[in-house]
Amino acid sequence: MSEVSTKKSASQQVLAFLLRMRQANMALILLLSLFVALVFAGFLIILTTPELLTSWESFFSHMGATIALTWNTITYAYVQLFEGAVVNFHDLRVLIDNPSMANLATVLNPLFGPSGTVTYATPLIVAGLGLAIGFQSGLFDIGGQGQVIGGGALCLIVAISVHLPAILLVPLEIIAAMAGGALLAAFAGVLKAYTGAHEVITTMMTSRIIGFLLPWFLTLTFIARPGFADGASKAIPPAGQLPFLLSGIGSNLQLSLGFVFAVASVFAVQWFFNRSKLGFQLKMVGQSPEAARTAGINSKRAIVVSLSLAGAMLGFAGMIELTGIDHFMSPNFGGSYGIDAIAVALIGRNKPWGVFAAALFFGAMQSGGLAMQSATQLQPSLALVIQAVVAFCVATPFLVVDIFKLKNGERYATSTAAGGWA
Amino acid sequence: MKLELRGITKSFGSLVANKDISLVVEPGQIHCLLGENGAGKSTLMNVLYGLLTPDSGQILIDDKPITIRDPKDAVAHGIGMVHQHFMLIPVFNVLENIILGSEDVRPWPFIDREAARTRIEQIANEYNFQIDPDAIIENLPIGTQQRVEILKALSHNAKILILDEPTAVLTPQETDALIEILKTLKEQGTSIIFITHKLREVLAIADVITVIRLGEVVGSTTPDEVNEEELASMMVGREVDLVVDKTPATPGDVVLSVSDLYVEDDRGLTAVKGVSFDVRRGEILAIAGVQGNGQTELVEALTGMRPVVSGKVSLNGDNLAGRSVRHILDAGVAHVPEDRQVHGLIPGMSIADNLVLDQIHSPKFGGIFGRKIKAIRENAEVRRKEFDIRSPGIDTAVGELSGGNQQKVVMARELSRELKVLICAQPTRGLDVGSIEFMHKQIVANRDAGAAVIIVSSELDEVIALGDRVAVLYDGRVQDIVPPTTSREEFGLLMAGARSTEATGVTP
Repeated sequence: MSEVSTKKSASQQVLAFLLRMRQANMALILLLSLFVALVFAGFLIILTTPELLTSWESFFSHMGATIALTWNTITYAYVQLFEGAVVNFHDLRVLIDNPSMANLATVLNPLFGPSGTVTYATPLIVAGLGLAIGFQSGLFDIGGQGQVIGGGALCLIVAISVHLPAILLVPLEIIAAMAGGALLAAFAGVLKAYTGAHEVITTMMTSRIIGFLLPWFLTLTFIARPGFADGASKAIPPAGQLPFLLSGIGSNLQLSLGFVFAVASVFAVQWFFNRSKLGFQLKMVGQSPEAARTAGINSKRAIVVSLSLAGAMLGFAGMIELTGIDHFMSPNFGGSYGIDAIAVALIGRNKPWGVFAAALFFGAMQSGGLAMQSATQLQPSLALVIQAVVAFCVATPFLVVDIFKLKNGERYATSTAAGGWA
Repeated sequence: MKLELRGITKSFGSLVANKDISLVVEPGQIHCLLGENGAGKSTLMNVLYGLLTPDSGQILIDDKPITIRDPKDAVAHGIGMVHQHFMLIPVFNVLENIILGSEDVRPWPFIDREAARTRIEQIANEYNFQIDPDAIIENLPIGTQQRVEILKALSHNAKILILDEPTAVLTPQETDALIEILKTLKEQGTSIIFITHKLREVLAIADVITVIRLGEVVGSTTPDEVNEEELASMMVGREVDLVVDKTPATPGDVVLSVSDLYVEDDRGLTAVKGVSFDVRRGEILAIAGVQGNGQTELVEALTGMRPVVSGKVSLNGDNLAGRSVRHILDAGVAHVPEDRQVHGLIPGMSIADNLVLDQIHSPKFGGIFGRKIKAIRENAEVRRKEFDIRSPGIDTAVGELSGGNQQKVVMARELSRELKVLICAQPTRGLDVGSIEFMHKQIVANRDAGAAVIIVSSELDEVIALGDRVAVLYDGRVQDIVPPTTSREEFGLLMAGARSTEATGVTP
């Protein structure tokens, strides 16, 4: 009898523990968002895999087989996704059994895997930090794409026209790239401060203009790669390239010094908002422009400064992309970093380490998606769907609170994840 | 209709906002609910109106227990609420606002405006309201907007009307008009629950007064049995000094001199029309007047938040007119703004940060290596004790504090700077007796320490209690500067635009 009662109390304890775990907090919401995304993507896997569809057509004649097949297909895809994003267990096993540089390089994986994840995430971390600066100040810099390109373009000009050793050239490239991004964003900032033009429109439109100017820019004789008509620019000279950190392990591991810059940026932005006077002022303007004005803060100046800093970070992201990964500019330079960075800042809730983690997640989905594609017939965009559903859930945290009936989630009913977002 | 609350208890986490509260509102009774800010009045009313669910307790109407799950239930049971912040849509007209939420006059999706209009005009006539149903809400004065709210509640057949701090936003004249309306409603049999912390009003209109302190009923009484002092000490839980204790001023040299100041309002109309006055060291100049006669614009111009069209503002001979806010703050002008929520504080930031909002550049709180967190926190601990800011700690977000404590944060910040001039706009608006007493003491102490003080207030009591001289503002002009001993009648006339007999001879 007593045994039964202790068992019961143990199960009650577990239940009580689980109930306690249902207290709404952002970490749990993130985890559940991922769960929602995986379930949603699971349905997409069924719909896009012909064998599964055929199997479901005759569901009632062999239920067990259908369910098993579905389960196996989905878990296989997700295992591939995970191994491509984080680490391949088979390779890891091989490394543990036979430790060698070559096996370590295989684990790190040049195409996807940890190295791919971090490589893709690096510019995104910096770009996301830039947007977070704007968002924290109540400004929505939507034109990150243009600022990435602008930064990259100035960086390219400097890299191919100035002949200096790396130790001087790289800082010069950073300054040029930051100036490029900052100028574009400052233009929108000045318009906002002195004419009231909304920065969402102006940054978006300048970004479009820059995007369309890029192919023309790449045809300039000074820029274009001689002898090729593919619209690509000259390559960054070796002195201007960011060194690969892991080239000692495997020659094709692309993790560059840019990642160190990105981590340093996280600390810098963290300091900026927590300790610096300027960061505090920008936060004041972001949270209450009127109270900031009453306290003697020049809000016009704050708008220009905030957008300039945001733009500088995006330009820096462009520089890392150009000198650390691509090494030349093409008409689709920068991919969708400027847009992805918005989601990264959103998921990271504008907190520096949050942005860092969110960017790594995006990087993981990118390289995981590639790995999944190479191992299954699934589209890599499935990973982007997972990414998008997570962003969606994080943007509407109350949806997650409601689906899982989390306790004390009322505060998520009105607040949005972005903090300063209207 | 008789309403009874029995043993209502509501807690938020560890905070018990309402503890076993019982009260009875008889038909046709004006029941005043009196208590300090944060005493639990609003929580109780939100329970009654279905916005909050009580942890325990019963609500009875005509001795029958009822459950109120949401405001719809409350309305169905004849309970109407006029919130402190009006729930009206500014760009809609009166009629549209009133029928909003109950437009089911005709089969969906059509609205029968004419039927609604007739119904509303009928109610308005019954209670003698003068309201144009086609007027756009944002063009109406605050007092009239409030009447629209009342009319809206009545149009839902409210038999019990809850008014949450209805006079906080009204001018004295509008308050009188409201009291008349409430008396008419009472005669027609409507019960009224009137939430306030203003003692004068309570004594003027209440049939029964219930005092709440720290979430509990501390007593029930009638206006015949008590006076203001007794009510105040019931509310605060200790003896309260209702008269400001101050020695006569010993004015020194002129510190701030304003001459022929012209300022425009947001719409570009001249709001301050040639105002001139001097404020001396060690005196309080109170600026009286009905809200909207240029006080807001005057204060904003003095503090650099609004451009000066013409005229001079000089501080010890330096011209401040047209200078930046930062310059004026640095010159030694402290500013306690009219709307602390919007201008004075950043609700999402901590008490510690709010205490240094306008001192970011002070070397005390920041150097080249950034903000000095330790100094900021030490400052906050000191101010919190000094100003008795009641909060769990200095990291609490200011938005979570009660109004009185928020104002203490603003005061603590402004008074902790080196100041030559202290400008306080409506320093005690919305505060309870205990906090008002505290604020007044602080202001007088600063006067005695040698500051030139300007108090802008629409509360005549405050103006008379604090001012060493009183300037009455009407239509953007100083009607006259008179001693605070001037009779209330004469103040009333000056505030209404009449010229004093001792007028300076300058025609407006």
